[in-house]
Amino acid sequence: MFKRLSLKVWVVALTASLLLVACGSGSNAPAPAPTKTDSAPATLEFKDTLVIGSQYGDPQGSWDPIDTFLLAWGEVACNIYDGLVDRGVDLKLKPGLATEWKFIDDKTIEFKLRQGVKFHNGEPFNADAVVFTFTRLLGPDGKTSPQLSNYTSIDKVVKVDDYTVRFMMKEMDPVIITKLAGYGAMIISPKYYQEKGDAFFNTNPVGTGPYKVTAYTKDSQVVLEANPDYWGDKAKTKKVIVRFIPEDATRVAEFQTGAIDIMQTVPVAQVKTLQADKNVKVLPVGGPTAWALRFDISKSPVDKLEVRQAIGYAIDSKTIIDTILSGNGKLISSFQGDGSFGNNPDLKPLEFNPAKAKELIDKAGAKGAKLDVFFSSKAVIQKEIAQAIASYLKDVGLEVVLNPVDPQQLSGTLITEGKAGHMYLFGWGGWTLDYDNTAYLLYSKGQKWDPYFNDAKVNELLTKERTSTDPKVREQAMKDLTVRLRETMPDVPLYQAVAVWATGAKVQGFVAPPDDRMRLAPVTVTK
Amino acid sequence: MVPYIIKRVLHGLMVLLAISLVVFFLLRLTGDPVMALLGQGNPTQEAVAAMQHALGLDQPLWRQLIKFLTDLATGNFGISFRNKQPVMPQLVERMPATMTLAFAGMAVSLLVAVPIGIQSAVRRGKAIDVLGRVFALIGISFPNFWLGIMLMLIFAVKLRWLPASGYQGFKYLILPAVTLGLILSSIITRLIRSAMLDVLRQQYVQTARAKGVAERTVIYRHAFRNALIPTVTFVGLQLGSLLGGTVILEQVFSWPGVGRLALDAISNRDFPMVQGAVLMLSTVMVAINLAVDLTYGFLDPRIKVGGKA
Amino acid sequence: MPERRRISLRRLVTNGPALVGALLVLTAVACAFLAPFITAHDPVNAQLRLRLDPPTWDAASKAHYLLGADAVGRDVLTRIIYGARISLTVGLTATAISLAIGVVLGLLSGYFGGWLDSLIMRIADVQLSFPFILLALVVMAIFGGGLAKLVLVLGITGWVSYARLVRSQVLTVRELDYVQAARSLGASDLRIIVKHVLVNVISSIIVLSTLQVATNILLEAGLTFLGMGVDPSIPSWGGMLADGRNYITNAWWVATFPGFAIMFTVLGVNLLGDWLRDELDPQLRV
Repeated sequence: MFKRLSLKVWVVALTASLLLVACGSGSNAPAPAPTKTDSAPATLEFKDTLVIGSQYGDPQGSWDPIDTFLLAWGEVACNIYDGLVDRGVDLKLKPGLATEWKFIDDKTIEFKLRQGVKFHNGEPFNADAVVFTFTRLLGPDGKTSPQLSNYTSIDKVVKVDDYTVRFMMKEMDPVIITKLAGYGAMIISPKYYQEKGDAFFNTNPVGTGPYKVTAYTKDSQVVLEANPDYWGDKAKTKKVIVRFIPEDATRVAEFQTGAIDIMQTVPVAQVKTLQADKNVKVLPVGGPTAWALRFDISKSPVDKLEVRQAIGYAIDSKTIIDTILSGNGKLISSFQGDGSFGNNPDLKPLEFNPAKAKELIDKAGAKGAKLDVFFSSKAVIQKEIAQAIASYLKDVGLEVVLNPVDPQQLSGTLITEGKAGHMYLFGWGGWTLDYDNTAYLLYSKGQKWDPYFNDAKVNELLTKERTSTDPKVREQAMKDLTVRLRETMPDVPLYQAVAVWATGAKVQGFVAPPDDRMRLAPVTVTK
Repeated sequence: MVPYIIKRVLHGLMVLLAISLVVFFLLRLTGDPVMALLGQGNPTQEAVAAMQHALGLDQPLWRQLIKFLTDLATGNFGISFRNKQPVMPQLVERMPATMTLAFAGMAVSLLVAVPIGIQSAVRRGKAIDVLGRVFALIGISFPNFWLGIMLMLIFAVKLRWLPASGYQGFKYLILPAVTLGLILSSIITRLIRSAMLDVLRQQYVQTARAKGVAERTVIYRHAFRNALIPTVTFVGLQLGSLLGGTVILEQVFSWPGVGRLALDAISNRDFPMVQGAVLMLSTVMVAINLAVDLTYGFLDPRIKVGGKA
Repeated sequence: MPERRRISLRRLVTNGPALVGALLVLTAVACAFLAPFITAHDPVNAQLRLRLDPPTWDAASKAHYLLGADAVGRDVLTRIIYGARISLTVGLTATAISLAIGVVLGLLSGYFGGWLDSLIMRIADVQLSFPFILLALVVMAIFGGGLAKLVLVLGITGWVSYARLVRSQVLTVRELDYVQAARSLGASDLRIIVKHVLVNVISSIIVLSTLQVATNILLEAGLTFLGMGVDPSIPSWGGMLADGRNYITNAWWVATFPGFAIMFTVLGVNLLGDWLRDELDPQLRV
């Protein structure tokens, strides 16, 4: 009886296949970390290799400081290069390759350089290297650099003697010292670069940092080796492998199998599970990145202030943080983190008030309006937040069309060309930790990121803040600015991101970096 | 035969030319990549102009096209917008990873599909047929990324038999190749089964049987050989989706192949890199399809290769 | 000369696998048409407080949704039911487009040969040699995302399999005696194609179409996985699976049940396809 038999076989086979799926997916508890069952060793022995799982794809094939603006670059490259100024994992500025600096006048800064420092190739570090680095950035080579716009306030850098340089500024730049800890200001070796050429340098970079690059496979991994001649605290682990694993599920799998020691960006859904595992250390860290829902105020109906305010009142950011982010986020009142200079603690985050939102929408006659929201199609969290926002807005009588798009396209063309719908989810790195960087680029008249917003008072406050050296004047101006921006609402600030890292219990000395720049020198892994 | 091959190679080159034109124009429809390349800050007009000039995007379209085509003729895919290095060596470096995965996947699939497909057809309706069909259906019922993640959870996270991802040796190839192979094998199994069923009822097979030729010989020499025609066609066709499958699996298994390079390049608007990657993969497919066409002649003498249709 | 049999429902009911297939497909179709009558919940609106709420049998379940809630707190079952609309539409529409283009071009190409054949086959080569996923991503980068565009891309790029299959079958069939005979008797080209060639390739086309419907449902999932820009609040099974993969280890229900929906539907379509093939091909009936 073929028919009856075959049915039975079908059922059996189907059940088997379901089991296959179930045993793949049904594990609530994390698999135990691969513990070798040997008892605790009498003396601590260290592994000579540390493996890190990066959430980024790759720094796009170049380790040259002026070719990049990607966190994928910075997280690794801060171990390869040093700047004149160093920003520690506590985000405080301290001497780097410069031991001290002083303002000779508003437009001249003098740096004393550290002596006896060598590049990875043995070349000595001196004033010539600093001059070369900045001449390259500000000269023809830097013309196509995404870093150039950060350093346009510098006119030129001149050598005073072998270990003294002066920065001659075109204009006052209140955050220049911070910027000298930034990507584009990392010092490179002049001879090596000139002899080997740009292309070679891209994949075989040489700096003064605690680690040097020994092997690099694009989209796969970069291998670092401790620099035995490092001028500061030398690296404790001989070899570091940074693997690029952008797929969340894969990175978590690698971490659970113990193939990686440090995992960047634990997916929020996994945080609780990993916290319960005593073989794992979960390290949340609030960073400078903030998220906002930004409006294109040239489009109706969000050209009306009431509608923008209504949207602000309609969104329950607190619940978004508690649920979608599993608490890994902080409420903000303006588009900056709480560690940012210029943050205004007196300004309260926008309240969640759907009734008021409805009222405002009725008043503006925008009931039933259809709004396009753009966001990154690649970030899980942004996708979920966008859906939540759509529901919140539906509750107050607005209709939302969700448009997930490629993140590069969103920031590269859509926003700057005014094609990102009525509003879009937008994250801003705020790496200088100074509201100036964010506010100027986002709110000042005719800027790339918001070609349409223009408010006289905002412009005035920005100019005031930019042209003063007095921190008190600047801070007050920026606090006033946050109030003015609340009144004009070019965006709805949503939250300050909290990044979550995880390490195996045997990893020592790793501090989760708020700016993604991993300081690897002090890290060890016990066997 | 030889003139036919030359003709087909020329056709292949024409196909590649057509593809390069299509990709060239499609990419230029995606907008100006300059802003995306200049980062977060506010670039000056001068910087934008300098960048456009450096990338050759300030030239009129026809000039860009001529440069692109003349470069192509000399085997030069141009310079990457993103890392300012020639595209060709970067692609060549990544080809082995992609091809290894594709061929390993194909090998796995044939290893699984050929015996199951034949047996299912020969013992139609028996247990093995039903099991084979269930297997074939399971394989095409999941998206490849899902199957990949499942296998990873089972064999890497739970059982710890294999590494979850990476590109360091044979062990690392197993999971992605099996994922790719399983999906493909279920399709090929179905195809071989139905092709075999078709062939088994053809007159010449019946005749062979009637003449008392051993059943094994009937199946393998007469039937399977002919069942291979649609199968080979299909496998040739599937190479496209196979290479497409590698794009997704490279992402899942952190496999540094051309696919990942291409995905990044598309989102970065790195035109030369996308053009290069597309042409590279296309060349492989054109070559394989050419091989498939030529194979017909050997498999089925009734199709006159090169004969005027 | 193959005689055609009429499809008989009686034979469907008595054929075990086919009946299972028909029931599975019917269930999916019923879900698609009757979704609002089957479930009272909203498939689109987020309820953040119910994020990843487990299925009703789990003690921790708050909302007691039968199959739990997804990442923004929607009922997974409701989304699966509504998802039948989206996924079947994606699968069927895209396949229909491919089928129409492919069969017509394949018949023309195989039957008439000559320059027409060359032209069509060269276009096919171009289409076929263009890595599909990359093409889809580039096209989406130009025209933006969205389900309708995705269906079009899937449909327009899927024709080659049909064209080539039909063509290669036509090449074989054309040489057969009775076709030659019909030709020499002065039967018109169109008549010959419809009467003889199409009848002969129909079983292969059905097999391929069932595969294609399934493939299209899966491709939609794959492209969503790569971040292809389909509105995530639209309940498509593929999208649910792609987005749910992030929760496989701690909220397995989010992706597993849509996975089953895809699996059972694909299974049903294929079982039905196999049966149809046998029905249309009476020589195979033992």
